[in-house]
Amino acid sequence: MTCAPSAPEAAAPASWRAVTVRYPFRGADAVGPVTLAVRPGERVLLLGPTGSGKSSLLNALTGIVPGIVPAEIGGDVLLMGEAASNRPPSGWSAEAARLFQDADQTLCGMRVGDEIAFALENRALPEPEILRRIEVAMRRAGLVDAMRDRRTATLSGGEKQLVALAAALAQETPLFIADEPTAHLAPLAAARFRAVLDADTGSRAFIVVDHRIDDLAGCFDRVVVVGANGGIAADGPPRTVFRERFADLRALGVAMPAAADLDACLRDAGVAPSVPPLTVSEALETLDPAPAALGAVRAFLRGRVASPAERPGETVARLENAACAPLFGPVVLRGVDLAVRAGEAVAILGPNGAGKTTLTASLAGLLRLKSGRRHGALGGVAFQNPETQFIGGSVIEEIRQSLNGKHIRTKDRNAAADAAQQILAHWGLSTLSAAHPYELSQGQKRRLALVSLTATDRWPLLVLDEPTAGLDAAGARMVAEAVDGFRAARRAVAVVTHDLDFALMTCPRAVIVADGGIIADGPTAELLADAALLARAGLAAPPVMQALSWLERHTQC
Amino acid sequence: MLTRIHPVVKLAVCTVWLVAAVLVFAASFQIATIAIAVVLLVAIERRPPLFVLALMVPFALFGIGMLTTTALFREEADFALRVAAEAPFGSAAVSAGVVLFLRAIACGMVSAVFVLTTDPAGLVKALMAQCRLSPRVGYALFSAMLLVPDLAAEAQQIRLARAMRSSRPPRRVPGPFETASLVVPLLAFAIRRAGRAAISMETRGLAQGAPRTILGAPVPSRRDAVFAASAMLLLAALVQAA
Amino acid sequence: MDTSNRWTLREILIVAVLGAVFAVLYLGWVQVWLIAQAIFGAVTMDVVMGFWFIVSIIAAAIIRKPGVALISEMLAALVEILLGSPAGLMLLLAATIQGAGAEIVFAATRWRNYSLPVLMLAGVGASVFSFVYTWFLYDYGALAPGLLVVMFVLRCLSGAILGGLAGYFIVRALYRTGVLSGLKIDHDMRAVRA
Repeated sequence: MTCAPSAPEAAAPASWRAVTVRYPFRGADAVGPVTLAVRPGERVLLLGPTGSGKSSLLNALTGIVPGIVPAEIGGDVLLMGEAASNRPPSGWSAEAARLFQDADQTLCGMRVGDEIAFALENRALPEPEILRRIEVAMRRAGLVDAMRDRRTATLSGGEKQLVALAAALAQETPLFIADEPTAHLAPLAAARFRAVLDADTGSRAFIVVDHRIDDLAGCFDRVVVVGANGGIAADGPPRTVFRERFADLRALGVAMPAAADLDACLRDAGVAPSVPPLTVSEALETLDPAPAALGAVRAFLRGRVASPAERPGETVARLENAACAPLFGPVVLRGVDLAVRAGEAVAILGPNGAGKTTLTASLAGLLRLKSGRRHGALGGVAFQNPETQFIGGSVIEEIRQSLNGKHIRTKDRNAAADAAQQILAHWGLSTLSAAHPYELSQGQKRRLALVSLTATDRWPLLVLDEPTAGLDAAGARMVAEAVDGFRAARRAVAVVTHDLDFALMTCPRAVIVADGGIIADGPTAELLADAALLARAGLAAPPVMQALSWLERHTQC
Repeated sequence: MLTRIHPVVKLAVCTVWLVAAVLVFAASFQIATIAIAVVLLVAIERRPPLFVLALMVPFALFGIGMLTTTALFREEADFALRVAAEAPFGSAAVSAGVVLFLRAIACGMVSAVFVLTTDPAGLVKALMAQCRLSPRVGYALFSAMLLVPDLAAEAQQIRLARAMRSSRPPRRVPGPFETASLVVPLLAFAIRRAGRAAISMETRGLAQGAPRTILGAPVPSRRDAVFAASAMLLLAALVQAA
Repeated sequence: MDTSNRWTLREILIVAVLGAVFAVLYLGWVQVWLIAQAIFGAVTMDVVMGFWFIVSIIAAAIIRKPGVALISEMLAALVEILLGSPAGLMLLLAATIQGAGAEIVFAATRWRNYSLPVLMLAGVGASVFSFVYTWFLYDYGALAPGLLVVMFVLRCLSGAILGGLAGYFIVRALYRTGVLSGLKIDHDMRAVRA
């Protein structure tokens, strides 16, 4: 780790010295020992596989651990040069602002203005100062002034995220910590966060944890990777880290920008640029379309673009001129004609609130259509929040229930128990067989949801709703492999996702839902290359598309 | 007009009036209360009369139960039945039942007037500013209220998920057994949210016993004193007359 | 490990959201009550009454600190007011009294015993206090004693079963989901197992 010797560590906004965190009733440290110091005004991107303890480190910084969440802390944690344990967690709100992952779900103000003022009211700042900061914060977060009096309960998910961002900005702290700010939906909020980073020219330090970093990678001075063993696996400027430590990071399952993959392929072919690229367009800019380069780009694209099924099977489910509506709501989609075949994977794309979930739930037969017809067997759905579908009191019971449905006879019960154990072992969940489903990590919950859906052949159609939300690169790979497995087993899969990279990688066909209906249905690569279509749907093409179009351009001439 | 009265003052006045309605056993008082409430809602707050009538329905339904019970089971029961056969509205039991029926509606209307003319945020802020309600409790209330719409969405999701497992599309309105089985998952969802909200709010500086600014808290004014005084005088007069 | 009797923010929030969830459930239960009441008369109130007490029993069994039973009922009613239920203010009055009834039982055990019998007894305690309140509200003094006894017994039974017993099962099921880790109930359960 390079440390500027002139900057005294006492002024470091955040500093961890040989820090370990251990939660009660666990046999091993959750993270550590970690020694790390953030310099004033520095922007750090904190990466690491899920479960590596990034959140624990950040929680130790503001005293959440051990103040609110009990745990044993070894080593020293310093915030603004002062021991984090000196003050209760509420005492640091003037020094560190934290944007939590689900901040839009933990709002506590009835109106937007109240929400933004909350932290400032807690500090007993005078009213005129609070009003001034609200105005500034709203502007920076891209909220119009008229929003101030709107009731938070009436806001959309994306708007709530922007309000949470404004509330954190209003604290005007020297250190700003963001937990997966781009993770949950709302590309608009993600773009806004990036804009905040770009516009901030002050001496504010940023620590950001995220898994989808294609857009953000360029904004940071430094990348720190927390390894699986709890220590620091890599630390340095992004370009250096992503190039030199590529193999290690890939093995760890850490998220990396697509450009890093491309760079690795280019290096293998010996045509890599001298400066490691952070974006795909940067890598391709100066690339000479020699055969070696073309081969490298092809290698990069292999495995990132799904190939269609060889033998399209019979239709598994079909909607005919359907009007779809959610359980208690008005019709949101009209004139829907959609068919999925065995062995096929379809990506359902579109802006927030377009009705993607309504469409897939109708396709799976869970929602009654207001008009039109549905043909085919019922489908199984892996919901966005995996917990909503768990009915067993333990993991093993969950699988057993899926195997047998409601009628369990004694003979079958033993056979079912054995089969359940086998399935668990196959999916790597054996050690958790007695745990309650709610106690699992996000990745494990998704796995359990997929397992219970596929334990039997009951559902020839599977719908996955945002399956990669909250998962790191390794988790996303697991889901992608699962989808390939389903296709090989001749099931039909529909994947609702905001992650266009994932859609491109797993689904050869895509459907775009917007403006009250389906506006496009065709090969994914074709749809994502249509800029006008994407603009209409409020989507942005993933960086991989640039490589695709580059390849197309240069293989023609 | 009522919406601009300080919420805590309104709360106090309405509570006192409610207690009076519970203790005073006279039809005239209850009728006067109902009349005042209707006038306030229709003439001053400009609510549609049909709406105000609809408000009374649940309380009236409840009141009818009390009416019949009293009529049938008051001490003088056997007499009451005989007398009721001859002079349906003249017996003591029936008239007592009528008072209780009116009381049910009157209490309901006082409560309705309060709830319909009070902004929830304003009430909680006023309680924090004037009654020293702990801000931890006040903001916990806000947080809990913002949870309610999400509870509905979560309940829908759970119902859809169960529909999938049982291969039967869900009914529009959940039946009693279905609702009972939703309680524990919804409570788990809510409690987990509560834990995360606590961390978030504490990180943003919410502490016990620290001084704070309250933006937009209602400030008591002379108008509130006038309102309270006149309401109490009116109440005293009505009680006297009953 | 929080062994003091002061409430943590998490506990305050848990009581608040319990109040919110049950405020919504109560709105539904009120419909059931009103329809049944219109058909069966005033005795139905006593039969269904126990469910109103359940929030105080569940909250007390989870948090296990002084004042939880009383405050949870008050917060539930406050949430109903904030949500705009027209009967809110009446409910606040009733809830405060009912909560006090349950709280007294827990106070008698010094807030240390949360076994099934104690929970059912708390339900009965709330029923008793509620009975006194409705005595004034609906002038029970003039009703036939036979009916009064029936109503009282029914209400106590309802409090014990719909409040105490149902609350006990709900808390047990909740505990198994693991969301209650770190609260006093968790410490007590682990201490028993250790």
